Amino acid sequence: MDESEDVPKNFIKLKCEKLSVDEVSELVISPYCGAVSLFIGTTRNNFEGKRVINLEYEAYTSMAETEIKKICRDVRQKWPSVKHIAVHHRLGVVPITEASVIIAVSSPHRAESLEAVMYCINTLKATVPIWKKEIYEDEYSWKENKECFWANSEK
Amino acid sequence: QVSVLYFARSAELAGLRCETLSVPRQITALQLWEEIVKVHPRLAVIRDQVVFAVRQEYVLLGDQLLVLQAGDEVAVIPPISGG
Repeated sequence: MDESEDVPKNFIKLKCEKLSVDEVSELVISPYCGAVSLFIGTTRNNFEGKRVINLEYEAYTSMAETEIKKICRDVRQKWPSVKHIAVHHRLGVVPITEASVIIAVSSPHRAESLEAVMYCINTLKATVPIWKKEIYEDEYSWKENKECFWANSEK
Repeated sequence: QVSVLYFARSAELAGLRCETLSVPRQITALQLWEEIVKVHPRLAVIRDQVVFAVRQEYVLLGDQLLVLQAGDEVAVIPPISGG
């Protein structure tokens, strides 16, 4: 048996090109794992009755990668049986219905990978410095996640 | 001298993404914000929504004393919307 297959890995990528579910799933597949859980965040075409023409993402790239690494570290502490974790986030212009984020986690049994994926996306939305701008027909808006831990949402 | 980075709405209000600023070596987060607003008064409107990231660690705008070194990165972080 190849010893290197036993080593859990994190695959973190921020990129402007279209994300691939196949690519991200394949990163985490392992012969030791019976489960791969996946989350895909896609872009919606409407917000409060306004038609969304386009979405643009920007990131504090170096810190975003660091924060995602922290999330992976937390996942491994909470669910030690998790094998591989992949987080791919798209930056720049993302056309409607295309994926903005794909998260994949593998584990021997399904409970851990399912819970870990949910933890990843929830924590990403609360702590990773990435911003989304929704562009409507005649205006635009910088979105704010309700999970953002410092923003007061009494609007 | 520190590097100040601006993102999203703060970059729009400041009109730039990056600049160097001369600040005291020891300064509270709030004082640092005041210094930045002196240079970019339009940023005042987002005061209640932003935090800093100093050397890539989040810092709320408060009385926490920052010990800064030359070349440190300080980022103005509006509410995030990743994912």
